[in-house]
Amino acid sequence: MEELLPSLKGILKEAIEIKADALKLAISMTVKNDIDGVVAEPEEIIIMLKMYGGLREDIPMEIDIDNDAQNITLKFQSEEDFKKIEKIMEKLWDNAVDLLVQVTEGDISRIKEIPNLDD
Amino acid sequence: MTDPNAIENNPFKELGEIPEKKYTDGYTVDSTYITVRDGVKIAATICLPKGLSPDSKIPTVITQTRYWRAMELRIPFRWILDSMVSNAPNPEVVTSRGYALIYTDVRGTGASFGSRITPFSEEEVKDGYDIVDWIIAQPWSDGNVVSKGISYTGTTAELFARNNHQAIKAVIPGHGFWDPYTDVAFPGGCFDNAFIQLWSFLGKNLDLNNPKVFRQVMPEAWLFVKGVKPVRTDKDLQMLNKALEQHSSNQYVYDNTIEEDFRDDQLPDGSSFDDFSIFARKDEIERSNIPILAWCSWLDSGYCDAIIHRFMNLSNPQIAILGDWNHGAALPANQFFPNRTSVTPTPKDKVNAWINFFEKCIYSNGIQGKMIYYYTLVEEKWKKSEDWPPIGHSYQKWYFSENFTLTREKPENDVGDDTYNINFRATTGRNNRWWALLGFPITYENRIKVDEKLLCYTSQPFEEDTEITGQIVLCLYLTSTHEDGAIFAYFEDVDENGNITYITDGQFRLIHRKILSEDPPYKILIPYHSYKKEDSAPLIPGEITEVKFGFHATSVLIKKGHRIKIAIAGADKDTFLRYPKEGKPIITISRNKINSSYIDIPIIKKENQ
Repeated sequence: MEELLPSLKGILKEAIEIKADALKLAISMTVKNDIDGVVAEPEEIIIMLKMYGGLREDIPMEIDIDNDAQNITLKFQSEEDFKKIEKIMEKLWDNAVDLLVQVTEGDISRIKEIPNLDD
Repeated sequence: MTDPNAIENNPFKELGEIPEKKYTDGYTVDSTYITVRDGVKIAATICLPKGLSPDSKIPTVITQTRYWRAMELRIPFRWILDSMVSNAPNPEVVTSRGYALIYTDVRGTGASFGSRITPFSEEEVKDGYDIVDWIIAQPWSDGNVVSKGISYTGTTAELFARNNHQAIKAVIPGHGFWDPYTDVAFPGGCFDNAFIQLWSFLGKNLDLNNPKVFRQVMPEAWLFVKGVKPVRTDKDLQMLNKALEQHSSNQYVYDNTIEEDFRDDQLPDGSSFDDFSIFARKDEIERSNIPILAWCSWLDSGYCDAIIHRFMNLSNPQIAILGDWNHGAALPANQFFPNRTSVTPTPKDKVNAWINFFEKCIYSNGIQGKMIYYYTLVEEKWKKSEDWPPIGHSYQKWYFSENFTLTREKPENDVGDDTYNINFRATTGRNNRWWALLGFPITYENRIKVDEKLLCYTSQPFEEDTEITGQIVLCLYLTSTHEDGAIFAYFEDVDENGNITYITDGQFRLIHRKILSEDPPYKILIPYHSYKKEDSAPLIPGEITEVKFGFHATSVLIKKGHRIKIAIAGADKDTFLRYPKEGKPIITISRNKINSSYIDIPIIKKENQ
């Protein structure tokens, strides 16, 4: 596993296409790899944003998951919420891998900042 | 990390070079339930070489675990990584060598059905037989099955040999126990509270598919893992949820032993620690005559002793290996080289060596006889021997003497003793050989500061390089103010500059001090204590008693000019239970011509000595 860590950021960016539509207040993620089974459950999206993205609040959003198209769309009610998540999404993969590397190396300080997740 | 330049006698080299891969396109992953004799469904994940033709027949490596045979990863990692990415043995390496690889959740764990009262129960062991029947009935199976694993999976691998199934051709138990009472749960009769509690806690949460607990104890796993992987066809998770319901009646070692003290205390199902040991199954394992490759580290819990006891007691064709890494060999652990960062051999090199062993056992004459390979710390060399102890082994006494010294001469004074108020704050920390069972690094740092809390005896500088290989024996003549207590003793190297390096240790609860003259249940090289209730006795406060026990085995070179040191404590607060539960004992250790406390050190004499 450790040997994969350095390349994970690139793999994530290559495998997942993120598009933000400011007019529709929507962000979509499309997984290009073939997935066996469901792409994700809606609560997994929230956990991902909180665990790796630093989201600390409950933001109202509609989560549409198309398992056939391997596409997830997040729709927001306000521009402010949209921009918050858009900003998180810009660095989500980098942050996720950095956190994993940091913790693997024994530094768990950022783990303490993650809120309780009902997973 | 063993010195990569240590080529001579290196077992990983002697097991052969890495051949060309038979399959290079990766592997397929599938999963299913295997129904065993009593109807319990065992979850299995099957990896096959990609490109295996329909008429091909290949052997199988099986690993039975209680730590989830496969994990459901969190997103986004689930989207990009194979779910087997963290599995051991590495499926890419194993399948590329032309083997099927099967991981199962043992009954009562993971996605398997059933429940469990003890680990390694007879039912769990018998499941192995039924699973092998299933394997050899598969169209891709050539009828040969081998097993390997580390720690829990190492023991399940070894217990395949007890099943005596004709398809099983070889087993590789890595870092597994021989005697769970002394090797892990009660070393020297002292309860390993920290590990047993944490291990049981983790096990319970794994069995209930509750990864939240990882946040505290294994945060990297918490970031990465959503839970146990259901079998492929269980899309709506109905089967998994039913299995988890059955796990709710599982019982755990900590709950069943925290109030116990003795080897013969009964567990809820009427069994005892001995019943799930390897030594109790010796006859069946020997009957199988299955070749065994067992490996471990000098610094891993009491499992180093397990390697030696297995080697001495089992007649099966056998290779035994003792190195200097942590539990599972993910990290270096040689205390003399704290700056080493990686392990030699690498995990992939090890798996390839293990498969070379399997190939010998499946396709040629297997291995003949027995050979133990051991790594001598400081000398940084591999050695091998057909016997244990090795040729040249003899004991050398060092007596506790005045001014906290160790001397070769027996004291001649009529009186002489040292008093020590037990310091219950003494600790080896949480990176010691016992916490290592959770996969943590092993570091015994700051021994100078730690030893300030202990009663210590140090020798004069050695006049020549001296190899110590085997189990040190400590003999104390002591009195105590209390009826119960324990000794935790550390054997250390002191260099010319006063730097102190931990080598090994021993611990012993004083109520077990009776040395029995009858034969122990298996051959040992140290004083025999039964740890049974009938042989225990409280100390009589103020009365001198002999306490004699063995340390965990080691192999080290004490260099010319270095000293040896024994540091004695009465507690190791972050690991073991406190003995006695209350009170502050004062012990007095005699060092006079009548009661001469000493350590007996296993020296390897060179041929010209």
